[in-house]
Amino acid sequence: MLIFKLMYLIRGYVVIRLDDINSEKILNILRRKNITVWDVEKKNKGIKFKISYDDYIKNSDFINEIMKPVGKKGFMLKLNKVKFRRGFSIGVFILIISLYLLTSMIWEVEVVGTNQTNTNKILALLSENQINIPVFMSQIETKKLETLIYNNFENYKFVEVYLEGSKLIIFVREREPEPSKIKSNEPSSIISAKNAIISKVIAKSGQPVVKEGSVVYEGQTLIMGIVKNKNSEEFVMVPSEGVVYGKTYYNFEMKEEKIRSVNVSTNKSKSVYYLKINGNSIKIIGDKEPYENYNYRESNINVPIISKLTDISILKGVYYEEVIMEIEIDEKTAQNKMKISMYDELLKRCNDDSRILKSTINFSDDEDFYYLIAQIEVIEDIGEKVRIFPTTEDKTEET
Amino acid sequence: MSKFNNFRSNLADELEIPNNVLSDNFDLRMHGNKKVIIENHLGIKIYEDTMVSVKTNDQDITIKGSKFKIEEINNYKVIVKGNIKEIIFSMKE
Repeated sequence: MLIFKLMYLIRGYVVIRLDDINSEKILNILRRKNITVWDVEKKNKGIKFKISYDDYIKNSDFINEIMKPVGKKGFMLKLNKVKFRRGFSIGVFILIISLYLLTSMIWEVEVVGTNQTNTNKILALLSENQINIPVFMSQIETKKLETLIYNNFENYKFVEVYLEGSKLIIFVREREPEPSKIKSNEPSSIISAKNAIISKVIAKSGQPVVKEGSVVYEGQTLIMGIVKNKNSEEFVMVPSEGVVYGKTYYNFEMKEEKIRSVNVSTNKSKSVYYLKINGNSIKIIGDKEPYENYNYRESNINVPIISKLTDISILKGVYYEEVIMEIEIDEKTAQNKMKISMYDELLKRCNDDSRILKSTINFSDDEDFYYLIAQIEVIEDIGEKVRIFPTTEDKTEET
Repeated sequence: MSKFNNFRSNLADELEIPNNVLSDNFDLRMHGNKKVIIENHLGIKIYEDTMVSVKTNDQDITIKGSKFKIEEINNYKVIVKGNIKEIIFSMKE
């Protein structure tokens, strides 16, 4: 009955009121005319019932003569009304299309994090790459745009492009200027960059203030750029030149699991398809997360013509089933791995011309882990040149 | 029931096919005491809030109760809804 009523709600029906004592007679006449009548209700004097709009049109003369239609309802009737109001309908249609087009386009580009000159340069770059405002959102690939800007401007250390409403926002972070190099004729001192025991001091110019065997700490002066003039009692500032070798000690503590969990693919996969509209995804086929452990990859499928004009595309996601396997790592492999990691770390911390004097490496293990405890003794240049007085450029930056 | 109709009804029984395929007999179904579906009817005789009478080939079916509403009526079937208390079959005079 629900389907029946729903069908007539779409096709249209007429509610009729009959103020006649012989309502049974009328119902029988309608039955003989093959008219289906439903929802017959007894009212004070007569009855109220519904018939389909098609039957009403076919028998309108007879019905209007003896009965009173109370109302006409249904989707098709509403649609017929719209047909008559053609101008209004076209207007609404144009409005919807315009709204859709206006909201799916980018009307403004905002560059955040740089000055106006660089902003203009970025906008010029966009124009060179056929991105002229207004542009459809579907034509903007933010990741590609980020790469493009990053590759074309060396002074940006970070670029992010995203859409906010109908605005394209390009967020950039400029690199901080590297500290200017100390010129060879500038008064300078050499200080220690690390805690160390002095091994050798070779001072070409300047006054060495540490001896072999002295313990120095980070920031301590090694070769002073202020020296006393031999001919007078005055102090003069000179550029310091020299190499100070010091013994430094690096301690390492590392651990490695004895049993490691590894994801292994089972070559089974299931796909899921989404309809992507303006960045929102609606699932159409397939199940989300069909496996307990999986590797998920997705790709975008552009629908010919539609994807060009609108921001509608199909997103295909593939779930590759994986099983977690536990692999036992043997002692030798774990020790080698920890050693390699340790030396990698050491390389990062030391200078290029460093030399290892002594290395003490101890291995141990418990139920779950292998451990490495090591101390490496290194001889390296620990000197770092610094200006005796900060430059005017630095002063302005500080203020 | 006419003799010919009686014969058709018996034949339908023997052939184990639905009775209303061959005969003019009505088919009455009830859903609890809330709904009555009568097929093969000849029209409504009385429609009141407390009583509905339906004509069939040989008999009149009178349904008594309250809050009666005819859910659907067409050339073939009539569906009556309400609180049914009594159904009376009376032979046509």
